Order: sequence, then structure tokens, then C-alpha cells
Amino acid sequence: MEQSKKKRKNKILSSYLWSMPSLVLICLIVIFPIFYTGYISLTNMNVYHWFDYDLIGFSNYKEALLVFDSGFIPALLLTILWTVVNMVLQLVIAYLLASLLNTKGLKGRNFYRTLLIFPWAMPGYVSILLWKTGMFNSQFGLLNQWLEKLGLAPVKWLASDGLAFACCTVVNLWLALPFMITIIDGALQSVDQSFYESALLDGAGWMERTVYITIPSIRPIIAPSVVITIFTTFKQFDVIYLLTQQAGAKTGAHIHTILTYAYENAFITNNYGYSSAVSMVIFVILILFSYVINIKPKEEA
Amino acid sequence: MKKIIASFLSIAMLMGLLCGCGAGGQGLTEEEKNTIVIWHDKEEAVAEALLAQLQESVPDVDVQLEHKSNLTEALKMVGNDPKAAPDMYFFAHDKIGVYAEMGILTPITELIPKEELENAYVGMTLDAATYKGEIYQLPIYFETLLFMYNRLYMPDERVPATTEELYAYMSEKTRGGHYGFVEQHSTAYYSAGWIHGFGGYIMNGEGEVGLENPETIAALTYHKKFVELMPGESEYATVNTLFQEGKAHATIGGPWMVSASRTAGMDLGIAPMPVIDETGLPISPYMGVQGVQVLKYAAENKREAVVKVLSGLMQPEVGIALAKVSGCAPAVEACYEREEVTSDDVVMAMRQTAENTIPMPNCPEMDIMWTVAADMLVNINMSGQDVKASCEAAQQSAEDLIRKMQ
Amino acid sequence: MKHKKRKERIKLLLINCILLVVCFATLVPILYAFSVSLNEQNSLLSSDFSFIPRRLTLENYRKVFVEEPVLLWFKNSLVLAVVTVAISLCTGIPAAYIFSRKRFPGRSGILQMLILLYAFPSLLSMTALYKLLSPMGLINTRAGLIIVYTGTMAVFALWNMKGYFDTIPVEIEEASMIDGASPVQIVTKIVLPLAKPTIAVTAMMVLIYVWNEYIFAINFMTGENTYTLAAGLYSLQASETSGSWPVFAAASLAVSLPILIIFFALQKNMASGLTSGGVKG
Repeated sequence: MEQSKKKRKNKILSSYLWSMPSLVLICLIVIFPIFYTGYISLTNMNVYHWFDYDLIGFSNYKEALLVFDSGFIPALLLTILWTVVNMVLQLVIAYLLASLLNTKGLKGRNFYRTLLIFPWAMPGYVSILLWKTGMFNSQFGLLNQWLEKLGLAPVKWLASDGLAFACCTVVNLWLALPFMITIIDGALQSVDQSFYESALLDGAGWMERTVYITIPSIRPIIAPSVVITIFTTFKQFDVIYLLTQQAGAKTGAHIHTILTYAYENAFITNNYGYSSAVSMVIFVILILFSYVINIKPKEEA
Repeated sequence: MKKIIASFLSIAMLMGLLCGCGAGGQGLTEEEKNTIVIWHDKEEAVAEALLAQLQESVPDVDVQLEHKSNLTEALKMVGNDPKAAPDMYFFAHDKIGVYAEMGILTPITELIPKEELENAYVGMTLDAATYKGEIYQLPIYFETLLFMYNRLYMPDERVPATTEELYAYMSEKTRGGHYGFVEQHSTAYYSAGWIHGFGGYIMNGEGEVGLENPETIAALTYHKKFVELMPGESEYATVNTLFQEGKAHATIGGPWMVSASRTAGMDLGIAPMPVIDETGLPISPYMGVQGVQVLKYAAENKREAVVKVLSGLMQPEVGIALAKVSGCAPAVEACYEREEVTSDDVVMAMRQTAENTIPMPNCPEMDIMWTVAADMLVNINMSGQDVKASCEAAQQSAEDLIRKMQ
Repeated sequence: MKHKKRKERIKLLLINCILLVVCFATLVPILYAFSVSLNEQNSLLSSDFSFIPRRLTLENYRKVFVEEPVLLWFKNSLVLAVVTVAISLCTGIPAAYIFSRKRFPGRSGILQMLILLYAFPSLLSMTALYKLLSPMGLINTRAGLIIVYTGTMAVFALWNMKGYFDTIPVEIEEASMIDGASPVQIVTKIVLPLAKPTIAVTAMMVLIYVWNEYIFAINFMTGENTYTLAAGLYSLQASETSGSWPVFAAASLAVSLPILIIFFALQKNMASGLTSGGVKG
């Protein structure tokens, strides 16, 4: 009895020891900043007390909750809409393209795949800049030059809310699809071909095969990557901010997600205590959100 | 057992990584004391000219210029970390309030006697460099926006003397992809000229917000009819390309446009700012003073080298060399006795235009105003919202954010 | 039968057409950058844009490689990437293996928590990391950046590889255990060769991250000589007053090229590795 208890203890100990380096790194780089932000949110760290800040309790949170005023609810709804639209489009398009890539007898598969993956190989800010100035610019952008050649009137792509939202979505898809295509493409390869053969014998059409065989088979495989992508989409800041709200280059569209909203209403104050409090509140909202829609990767017991 | 040893090894490896990289000692060697690192965000030509001048005037100090693209953010983070912070930085005067409040700057007067500064510099540059009664910047040159025109389209005799003349010109010439006049109409830096011309302000010297003042509202209401004859995009790439490709006949832009346009072969003219008919005042843009700020740590530990570099920077030759490459006006008064300066039309136009300019506020609150004012301008100019309502909302939000800075 | 073959052919042709169109659409912004990079004029914009510039020049590429310390940045990036990948794998593999094979208290709690931590907006973590690294003397050192990068990617590495290990049948290991192999031997001799694809993919993801990351690189490294490629590229970015768009565009493309080559080389491994990097259903 004593022996087996000791053995069990040893087993736990060695498990933790082996995963220690990885967990220590995660604690340092991922968890520490969260606690630090929590701590700063309780202080008066701002321009006037940059290096000599004191703990001041929860008064930053009192202020932070005021940010969640009339403008915050629309921003939250827009963020949810943004996440849903982007995830649906991403999954559908990636699935369709991956299916095409997996067509039997298709030559040049690797060629297409490398080209489709290109956007991944560039730093994000370069891509966004290219889209903004190269494509969407209303005077010189390629899109309007093409419209002009077709004899159509130029469009102010980023100036109105709806169109700007669509443009941001396009850019976000462009940035995110390579990852999704790679995942779904691989998942499709792992589907047992014998399922299809028997389904074909039963006379099942493409739609039926997709719904009853392909999707159930790839769902568990792509789930964790999808969860991670949902979070990245939810907290996407660069695409929307750089395309429509960058200082000195605002375009007139008012699409605010909770992060860009928080940025303009908290972070620009240089009051770290206050903006940390806002960040912590957003963090809590995100966690609640993930519980509400129950996105957590299932894990075998 | 093996496992445990292996785990210890891997932890040790990690710890080694964490701690192994030498922590710098506190005492500075002679060599370190004689090295001055200056951060800047300037174009290469300006940096090269500055370095060449410093190597000549203070040959015994090892000056290193480092280009930092996000200088202002980086300074907030590393400002009091001697290992990472620079000794000085070369930037516009409008950030000194932020860093002075943070406590990372040393007043220049602790290194160079105040009288010496007052005797040497153009008065308004020192005013701009003063925050809460202390001079935090050693000015090098000052810059402001200029009215520029392309002689190919706008002959000298059609250069508008008043804004109504400008409007008439714009109404006549803005068609078929050509614009009579363009500017970055929805950024605070560019609109400020119009607001000041009406006697309004975004933020005044006392740190008061003036977005809903009647003068500001009048200015923006008037300005709006000009914006309607300009392209929808207000950012610099569009505006500058339009002008440089000859699709816009005139613009208000910074000195950097001058050399770029001339290199491209444009017959460029520079004129005084048009006078606003209603007030009789010219469009009066912001003025920025570019200069050097000294960090506290450097002033305390490398005083000798810092003073040497500052004295070197006070030589008229430095101001002249930098004014030449940047198209700005030197801050040292003595420069204007030199032929090479007085004969340079860009530099002299800059000096002249600067008579009517207003130094950018240098208090920390201004950081907020850039964003809030730009938001307001976009609402008015691009989203077609009511001027008065937008101004009032912006005033409210600015005051709110300023309160939250504390 | 013949009819069916023909139908098949038409279908393939159609698919090829669709894929070509999609690929072209994907590449438009990149072709745009390419065209700008070959252009003489210093502008990102032009009213008469064409994909083949009117005044063709390779000058911008020459500038990138001769006037800018790109090769030095390349070396910095390479060193950082290789070390980060090595450490990520060395720390990630044992952890992922343990989390896949062993059951111990706190295991599933940790796994769940790691995913949730992904939700934290990273806008603020920079200052915190600075405060962490600075007292240790790690600011302005490669070691500091490496720790930040490995830590940031550690969650991904752990989840991704754990998922793949889950799909490797335990029976293989049990068999060798009976043969008297030690646990370490089992992992190195049996599990690792089987897990090659996931290791390749994890390495690839870490590599891309290090290659493209610029915010930490700029803020934690002072001085152009210590920049990585992405940070150097960021500093080349033209602003209103300075810089050259064509050189920036040329540099952007030059930076992406090594990654693309590695992509192409790793294609086979990547698909199978990434997808299993989840949880077995």
C-alpha cells in the first residue's frame, strides 16, 4: 500500500518534472503578463506616476465599467458579428478549396497549395498596408482603376460602415485562409476512403456525402485549430484598426470591435492602471463568451 | 531516476538561459561614459548630416545615432532603464510634457546656462521647448506647413491670396481627376491651421480643450466646403501622390515635399498662406521644433560627454547643415546672418511662415487630442455629421479622457 | 465508359480553372508589391498602375541587399528562429508526450486553462514582459527574445503535439516496454520517428512566428544591428517624411521568400501534422 502510494507520487512528480520547462515558459510569458496586468489595474500607474505608482484599490475598475457605456454594447455586438461572419466564411471557403485540392487526379496540387499559402509568408502589417493602399485607395487603388476601365464610377471602399466591414472581412480572410486551408486539406486526407465507396454504392450525392461522412469525420480533427482561430478572430485588432482607424489615416467608417473601442477610449490616455482594468474586464468577457457558446476542445478522459 | 536527472538538466538549461546573459554592472567605464547614443526617427540624409557635424565639432565623443521607428512608445517603456534607453533623443518638442511628467528628462538648463540658450536661439523655439517653466529641449530646427503650388498648372499670378480666391480656383479646376487644391483635411495637424486662422484652438497653452468654442466650430463649418472639393482619402500617401503626379495644383504640405517634388522635376512655388476672408488672419498651422532631449540617467552619469555634444549642437553650422537637408529653418539665430541660409528660398519661406504659426502644445494631454480631434474631423468631413454636434461630442470625450489620465 | 472519362476530364479542367483564378486573386496584392518593387519612382501609388512597371529597375533589390543590413538581419532572424525552434521542441515534446500519455491531477485543468489564456488581449503584455525581462538583464539580448518567442508558442506546441501523440497507438509502446526498453528509449526510438510530421509542423509554425514577429523585436532590441528581418523591415517602412516604398516592397518580398521555400519543402509533412494536432474524436 505504502509502496504504491509512493509510486503514484513519483509518477505525478515525474510527470510535472518532464513538462516543467514548457509550463515554466508558459507561466513566464503567457500567465505572468495577465497577473501583472491585474496588479497594474489596481495601481495608479499613469503619466504622472510612471515609475512611482501606488496601489489604489479598485477605483480603476469603477472607471473601466464606465467605458462599457452606450458605445460598448454595439461594439460587442459587432465583434460577435465579425467573429461569426469571418468564421463561417473561413470554414466554408477553406472547405471548398481544400475539397478542390483533394480532387482525384488533380495535378499541380502542391503548386496551387504553395500559391494559396503565400499570404502566410508575409508579416501581417505588410499585407494590410498593401491592401489598404494598393487595393482599396479610392484615387489610385487597383480596384477603382479596374472599375474605371470598365467605365464604372469609383467606389470609396473604406468610407462607409457596411463596405468597410466587408473589406476588413476580405483582408482578414486573405490573412487567415492559408492556415485553415492547410488544416482542412490535411484533415480531408485522413478520411477513410472506404466510407465514400459504400456511400457511392448507396447512391449518396455530393451533398449527402459531405454532410454525413466528410464533416463528421474531420470535425474532431480540426476542432482545436478552429477554437484557436475563433479567439484570434474575436480579438483581431490590426486588420480593422490599420484599415480604417489608423491615426492620420482614418477613413470615415465607424466599425468598432471591443478592442478598437477600448483602444480609443482607454489606451490612448497613457493611464496604464486604467487601461489594464479595461483589459481585465475584456478578458473576463471573453472567457464568459467562450463559456456561453461552449467552445472548448473536447478532451478524452 | 534517470528521468529525474533529465528533468533537472532541462530545468537547469532553462535557468541557465534565464540568468546566463550577463547583467550590466553599475559603474561605467571611461569608454561608456564617452559614448552617447541618440535615438531619432529622421530620414537618412538628416541623420547623416547630423552625425557628420557632430563628428567634426565633438571628435572626442563617440556619438551613435540609432533610427527608432516607434521611438515614442519605446521611450515610455525603457525611459529609466540605463541598459536599454538612449542618452538623448532627437524628436519634435510636442512629447516633452509626457516624458517630463514621467520623470525621465533633464532640463537643458541644468547642463547649459539659461542665458546662453536665450542668447543663441530664436525666441519661439525656446518657448515651444518649455514645459512648466523648464526648458527640456535643445532646439535644432523648426518646421511648419507651407503653401506649395505647381507652376505648370497654377501660374504665379493665380496663387490665391485669400481663402475665397482659393475656393474659386478649386471650384474652377477640380474636375476630371484633377484637383485645384488638396490637403490632409481630416487630420488634426493640418486642420489646426484653419482653426487657428479663426482664432480657435484644439488645445491652448493652458491645456484647455477648445473643440466646441464658437471659433473652432466656425472654422470647421467654413473648412467643410473646401473638403467637398478634395478627395475622400485624407492620408498622406494619397494627398502627396496627387500633388507629385501633377493631379493637384496646390497643396499645404511639409518641407519634405519640397525636395521630393523638385527631384521629380516639378516647377514648385512656395507662397504665403492664404488669408481667411472672414477674419483677416492667414491659415496658421502648427509649428514643430525638432531638437534634442537629454535623459536623466545620461545627464547624471555622463555629464561631461552630454555637455560636449549639446555645445556641439549649438554651433550654427549644425543648424545650417540640417536645415539644408530637411528644408527646415535653423533654430540658432546666428544662422540667419549667413548668406547660405538667407539665399535659400525654402528655409526663408519656412522662417516667414513660422511668424504666424502656433507651437504644438507640449503637455501630455495633447496625446489624446490628436486622436479625438481626428475622430471629430472625420465625423464632420467624411461622415457628414453636424459640425456643432460633433464638436460638442468631441469636447466631451476629450475632457472625459483627460480626466481619466489622472 | 468513354463518355464518363470525358466528363471526368472536363471536371478536372474546370477545377484547374477555378483554382487558377483563386490563386491569381490571392496573389494580386503580392503582384502589386512586386510591381512596386521594380518601379523607379518612390511611390506606393500611381494613377497608371500596371503589373509590368513602365520604368523597370532592379535597383531597389540592389539597395535592399547592399545598402541595408539585410544580410545581418537575415542572420539574426536565422539564429533566433533556429534556437527558438530547438527550444520549443525540446520543451514541448516531453510536455506534450506526458500530457498525452500520463494521467495526473491537474492535467485536464491545465489543458483547458491554456486554451482560455489565449483569450487575453496581448496589447498590454508587452509592458509586463518588459518588466519581467529587464531586471534579469535580458533586454537587448537574444536570450530575452528567445524566451518570449518560445513562451508565446509554447501553448500551441503543447496542444499541437499532444494531439498527434494521442493518435499514436499506445500498444506500440507497450510492446517495446516488455522488450525492456527504458521510457526515454521508447520516446526517442519509437515515438519521435512516428511523430515526425507533427514535429515538422510545429517547427514550421514557430519558424513563421519568429520570422514575422516585429513588435517584440523592435521594442526589446535597440539598435539596427540587432534587428530581425521583420523588425528591420518595419523600420524600412516609409513614412510621410522618409523612406522609400519600392525598397520596402522589395524587402517585403525578399523576406517572404525563405519561408515560401521551406513551405514548399515541408508540404507533405505539414498537412498530416497540423490536422492531427487536435484531439482525436
